[in-house]
Amino acid sequence: MVDRKSEVLQGTLDLMVLKTLYALGPLHGFGIARRIEQLSEDVLQLNEGTVYTSLLRLQQQGWIKSAWGASENNRKARFYSITRQGLKQLEREEENWERFAGIVDRVLRLERQG
Amino acid sequence: MRRLPTAIARLKALLAERRANREFDAELQEHLRLLAQRFEQRGMSRTEAADAARRQFGNAALVQQRQREARTFLAPGELWRDARFGARMLCKHPGSTAAVVIALALGIGMNACVFTFVNTLLLRPPAKVKSPGELRELWERSAHASGLGQHLPLSYPDYVYFRDHARSFSGLLAFDGDSEAVLWNRSGQGDVVRAEFVSGNFFTVAGVDIPLGRAFTPQDDQPGNPQPLVILNNAFWRARLAADPAIVGKTMMLNGTNFTVVGVAPPGFAGFVAAEVPDFWTPLSMAERVLHDPGRMSSRSSYWLLSEGRLAPGANTRSALAEANVLAREIETAHPDTNKDLGAAIFSSGPLPGPARTYVVAFTGLVMIVFSLVLVIACANAAGLTMVKASGRAREMAIRSALGAGRGRLVRQLTVESVLLALLAGVAAIAIAAGASRALLKLVPANLPITIDLHLDLRVLLFTFAVTLLTGIAFGALPALRGTRIDPAHVLKEELQAGGYRGSRLRAVLMTGQVAVCTLLLFGAALCVHSLLNANSINPGFEIHNIATAELDPGSLGYSDEKVNAFYRDLTARLRSHPGIASVSFVNHLPLDASREETGAILPGSTLPEDLALHVDVFRVAPEYFETMGIPMLRGRDFTQAEFDRNADLIVINDTMAAKLWPGRDPIGQRVRLGHAKAASEVIGVVRTGKYRTLGEQPVPALYRLTMPAQRVIVVRTLAQPGAALDWIRHETQAVDRNMAATQLQTVADFMSFPLFPARTTGLLLGAAGILALILTWIGLFGVISYAVSQRTREIGVRMALGARRADVLRLVMRQGLVVTAIGLGLGIAAALAASRLISSLLYGIRPDDPATVASVSIGLVAAALLACYLPARRAMRVDPMAALRYE
Repeated sequence: MVDRKSEVLQGTLDLMVLKTLYALGPLHGFGIARRIEQLSEDVLQLNEGTVYTSLLRLQQQGWIKSAWGASENNRKARFYSITRQGLKQLEREEENWERFAGIVDRVLRLERQG
Repeated sequence: MRRLPTAIARLKALLAERRANREFDAELQEHLRLLAQRFEQRGMSRTEAADAARRQFGNAALVQQRQREARTFLAPGELWRDARFGARMLCKHPGSTAAVVIALALGIGMNACVFTFVNTLLLRPPAKVKSPGELRELWERSAHASGLGQHLPLSYPDYVYFRDHARSFSGLLAFDGDSEAVLWNRSGQGDVVRAEFVSGNFFTVAGVDIPLGRAFTPQDDQPGNPQPLVILNNAFWRARLAADPAIVGKTMMLNGTNFTVVGVAPPGFAGFVAAEVPDFWTPLSMAERVLHDPGRMSSRSSYWLLSEGRLAPGANTRSALAEANVLAREIETAHPDTNKDLGAAIFSSGPLPGPARTYVVAFTGLVMIVFSLVLVIACANAAGLTMVKASGRAREMAIRSALGAGRGRLVRQLTVESVLLALLAGVAAIAIAAGASRALLKLVPANLPITIDLHLDLRVLLFTFAVTLLTGIAFGALPALRGTRIDPAHVLKEELQAGGYRGSRLRAVLMTGQVAVCTLLLFGAALCVHSLLNANSINPGFEIHNIATAELDPGSLGYSDEKVNAFYRDLTARLRSHPGIASVSFVNHLPLDASREETGAILPGSTLPEDLALHVDVFRVAPEYFETMGIPMLRGRDFTQAEFDRNADLIVINDTMAAKLWPGRDPIGQRVRLGHAKAASEVIGVVRTGKYRTLGEQPVPALYRLTMPAQRVIVVRTLAQPGAALDWIRHETQAVDRNMAATQLQTVADFMSFPLFPARTTGLLLGAAGILALILTWIGLFGVISYAVSQRTREIGVRMALGARRADVLRLVMRQGLVVTAIGLGLGIAAALAASRLISSLLYGIRPDDPATVASVSIGLVAAALLACYLPARRAMRVDPMAALRYE
């Protein structure tokens, strides 16, 4: 295990959840948490409860919707999926993120002058 | 566009709250179970795995809480909890709760009372009428006049033209705007009832179903063939005819004609005009015979019909007006002598005739503004008090917020409390409104044939409820927002003196506003009360005491002139023989009553064109009129009985007329030509000028002449209280002629309520508003200063311990209140001077910027403020420094 995990950057969790749902289709909360854990290679420290807070937020915005279904081991579970509005939002957020990341990247590349 | 789905999601969630909670919990539990399962697979023990799972998941309770909060915007369950808690808090302080409730109840109640009148006079659609929204009033509009005189009711021929040609209306009905007093001869006994003349299509166009009998038809209302038929008002039928189910087909003797009852109107229906409640309806074509007024139906200059049309499908107000104007021009072309420059006007249908509504709107609007201001003061009071309590509860709020209550939660709690207070007040307000409106109705003079049905209907209740709710939120939100903006750690650690500096500044602003509004209202009240006193002391030019009057109209029975004269001769003789009666006389109408007659007076031989003649008010009188009314005869003499009997062409004039026509000369024996008369009338006497139209008028030239019509007002001077004379008049009238009945029996003192009506109403309403404002403001000032003193007890103790004298303490405390008062007073007077022009037309003998009023209001308010500040200041002076310091 890595000693120092990075805190999830404020606001990026929503983006990750949206993108996960976009990429993998309908998933339940546990599945989303696992997927993010897997992708972050255990670097991110994720309070998995916050995934549900994020899901709530996204649902209230109308960017995702949920339906009850059966999980892999046939237990009742709530599956979340992205909506049309969510797709648009994802596009916007990705652009924002790339712009932001680009700026940070450029700033970090600054060499010491003089 | 994101709001809508959000709202829908919230609404859905609200409906399924408990299920959602359960499901969400299950979802989280499932997640934890799966996590633990994974850890177990990696080799942890069951308990270790469960712990690890919880660690990785984080605060499950918090997530659940979030989920709940996100969905419960106004969950009914919590609202109920807030309300119960709020009620407990209110019961904890019964004194201040009662003070706020009473203040608010008065404020809301007076507004509801005014609204009751607005509702009755302007809003409430006529009962039992089908789709009243489709009805429009049709008037004629004169291009020359302005104001109330601009709009004219229709003459019968004009009405018929509009009725037969207007395509915008599917039907156009007409009725006599003023119901007429009619003598009902019931088995030999005369009784006065009120008749309304209506067109044959009246009930069908109005869509009023006649439950008993039938409605009128156009055949019933042919001018050439008038049918003596009546439809009875349901209330009249019940009260006076014992709800006789076989009434249809029976006859009633009205003004000497036998009428057949064809129907009884449905209960509740009383025609279109709110203040007019006729006892029965009869066809328009009967008007000539009933009123003994031949030619009324064919005259185009007799404007007596109010007309309402039902818009045809597809028509609207604008198209109806355009068409009516075209029709009016056609009438004008055909009858230029009577209808020159007469256009048409359309009003929406309402409880008052359209043209009159503007004035009622203006007056009730003014009163409404005044009482809303009272309510604003009451709100400021309540807000101040709530704020004081809120800051007293700073610790409570701090603890709740430290325990995790969100700010929204606290604001809601406080707002629920104030709405609860307001609702209590609202209930009391409805009782106040009912009582106050009944009391106000008593001001309506008896000689206005007005019956106002002022019940509190649903609209009034809704209005009151809305005002109440608004009030609660208005006075609750501010303190709630302020009271919850706390830093719990700060409050709990520091034992902070509640209601710090920020709070006191806000309270000062509230208090200043209160004083300003109070000044404004007090100023208006002072003006109106002063004006009422002025009006009461205005000499009307006749005596008010010991005179009884009544109206008589033997002409309505169709009597000949000889029979009319014989009736009056007998009646006069009988009354004169009463030992309690000093004199008896007659006049065609009393001065200051609603009727009036005017003529042009011009000197014989004058070359002035006729329209430059002096306009003179005319009264037709019998001998002894001046003596009976106590009008001083300045020169010359009264008419004699002989002159009266032969209708001599003599006049008595007032001194204003004398001064206008014969300045500096003796008018006795002079001659003047009146109106279109060929011969000139001779002046035989001069009396002192009185008031003829309104109490506030400038001296008006007037003359008295003979030639009385059959309809007269009898005036009887008594030696003692005139009340008994009313009975004598009633009895002697019936003794002389069993078919006759005297109407409008009243003493002149009672009659004066008619000319004094405007002054009394404004004086009473604005006076009440002013007093209420003063009391509320005083309580507000007193409460806030007292509170400030109690908060500063420790500071005052320290000051005194450091050598401050009592006078210094007094100054310290008083200064705060007086600065607020001074600023408020200044603002209020500026506003009052600007606003007082609005009521200048309602004032008698006082300018709207009367300096004495400004001074007295200022002094009164400052004195009240001084007292409000002194009482708490005295308590502050008595602070024992040791006690105050030891408390710490």
